[in-house]
Amino acid sequence: MTDPIDPQAPEAPEAPAGPYVYDYMAAPNRQVVLPKTVPLPSLRTYQAEVAAAAAADEAKWQKQLADFEVAKAKAEAEGKDAPKPPVRAVPRKDDNDLKTPWPTEAKDADLLKLQELLGGQVEEVFEQAGERVCQVKKEAILEALKVCRDEPSLKYEMLADQSATHYPAAKDFAFSIVYHLTSVSRSRRLRLRILVPEGFVPESACPLYPSANWMEREIYDMLGIRFANHPDMTRILCPEDWEGYPLRKEYPTVGLGQRDIDFRDDRGGVLNRLAMEKAGQMGINLKQPKAD
Amino acid sequence: MFKNEEMEINLGPQHPSTHGVLRVKLRLDGETVTKCTPIIGYLHRGVEKICENQTYFQGQVWTDRMDYVASISNNLGWAEGVEKLFGIEVPRRAKYIRTMLTEQNRLASHLLWLATHALDIGAMTVFLYAFREREYLLDLFEAFCGARLTTTAFRIGGLREDLPPGFIKSSQAFQDRFLACIDEYEELLTENRIWKKRTVGVAKLSAEDCIALGVTGPVLRAAGVPYDIRRAFPNAAYAEMDFEIPTRPEADTYARYLVRLAEMRQSHRIIQQCIDGLPEGPVMAKIPKILRSEVNEVYHPIEAPKGELGYYFVGEKGGTMPYRMHVRAPSFVNLQALSKMTEGRLLADVIAAIGTLDVVLGEIDR
Repeated sequence: MTDPIDPQAPEAPEAPAGPYVYDYMAAPNRQVVLPKTVPLPSLRTYQAEVAAAAAADEAKWQKQLADFEVAKAKAEAEGKDAPKPPVRAVPRKDDNDLKTPWPTEAKDADLLKLQELLGGQVEEVFEQAGERVCQVKKEAILEALKVCRDEPSLKYEMLADQSATHYPAAKDFAFSIVYHLTSVSRSRRLRLRILVPEGFVPESACPLYPSANWMEREIYDMLGIRFANHPDMTRILCPEDWEGYPLRKEYPTVGLGQRDIDFRDDRGGVLNRLAMEKAGQMGINLKQPKAD
Repeated sequence: MFKNEEMEINLGPQHPSTHGVLRVKLRLDGETVTKCTPIIGYLHRGVEKICENQTYFQGQVWTDRMDYVASISNNLGWAEGVEKLFGIEVPRRAKYIRTMLTEQNRLASHLLWLATHALDIGAMTVFLYAFREREYLLDLFEAFCGARLTTTAFRIGGLREDLPPGFIKSSQAFQDRFLACIDEYEELLTENRIWKKRTVGVAKLSAEDCIALGVTGPVLRAAGVPYDIRRAFPNAAYAEMDFEIPTRPEADTYARYLVRLAEMRQSHRIIQQCIDGLPEGPVMAKIPKILRSEVNEVYHPIEAPKGELGYYFVGEKGGTMPYRMHVRAPSFVNLQALSKMTEGRLLADVIAAIGTLDVVLGEIDR
């Protein structure tokens, strides 16, 4: 005799529509802390930051002065001694060998030449840590590379490196792609940079620099940026069926099947003992075998 | 009468001639290669992701595990890249010691290349000779930092400690006999008829192709381009050193062999200059215990034994860990040229081509 169908029984779950994708954001030990800032080096941002810091400092000083005037008037009215006048704080000097390289105005002839040749396509040029940076519009990257390679006064023949960075906190873009060009004949280096939003397909550099082939495949593999007109846009380091893009910031560093307890936090050994007990209940002996 | 069709075979990933877990998919017409596709990634460990989650001090340990044959060069690239990011000037004595160790490591790397390359092609004897000297060099590294291969030799800002007592004496003892050792290898190979038959005119790659494909290091110099980062963008103490950049016009496997041997002589010269002119003074710059970066990005290239090794760092404000770390591995870029070098050539030349590129899979897959 079969049981009558219980009307209270929950319905069978629906079959998933798409392929099974592990939701790593839902797993507690695989939660990642996304960066809140956008560390994109830029002369404009730096100048704005410096100006804001100076304004804040000045405002603080003015407030200190105003407070002092009020306190002085109050003390005079009450017939007490006048308070000490405020002293403006001098930034503390650290006694070490660190000379932080801040971005500076572009003075290099190559950068000025690029700015002249590309005109409105250039978004920003600056120098930092002895390196020349030129940021161009994302649609104009092929044109910029062509100018760098073919212009006789620039002659950047080699694309030494191409790489990308994920900026999840940025509003109007998601990735920066950098091209490190080398001029073998002139012993010079230049960094071209574009900012691309999620889903944008920039032009591949392969027609101009064949060395970009594997580098762009690596960028696609690691960050999921596809390139247009690339001869073979497939994964290169990870297997073809890999899920997700490992160098994105939301990708966890703890993988499937890794331990759920971080033993570095377990100074007293409590978690360790609990894990041992739990394993013992499951019939697994984690204890070290004792020598007889 | 005979069936005539192309055959597809896999070379590797466990073939002993592939110097690691490299897989090469070959399409053959008889013994001629018509298509060659290198397939990589078998050793991928995600070093870039790991280093984004470790401090600048901890990340250096991973650089040993990329090009494990020339780990000191990797350490140098990491240390100098981070120093460029923070704007740290290293004391002069530390620079000299770094240069000396890096050149000794270049010798060790080239010796390993010579040994295995000759072994691939069929000359067994050189292997034993080259490993004899390499062993001595690894013992020197062990005396300096306690490890033979995974050295982590340098610290950000200089060195952890000065040279151990007796290091200079042992290095000088090596210097005194090493030139004669290079002559021994040359005696075995340079005029060897079989060696020349297997290498002359094999796996050619012209200077234009090298530059277009981003190939650097001895392969580029054997095509006649005198491009050496030690001279073009001097780092460490190379600006004060007197050395030549050996080049050859032939652009084949034999030329690369000659260039690497000449490079070993130049490295010997640089080490001698470091020993003779080693300045006195501190070996560590004054830096805070916790380094907090500002918003900055740097790309620092150095001349590793295999070619241009570049470290790309992005620092965030107040961050103790790199926001992004990327390695431009010389072998990764050089291996792209394998198809160009071997297509239309014989199958046996593929082995010579892999050997002459001097690839290390640890830094290709990272």
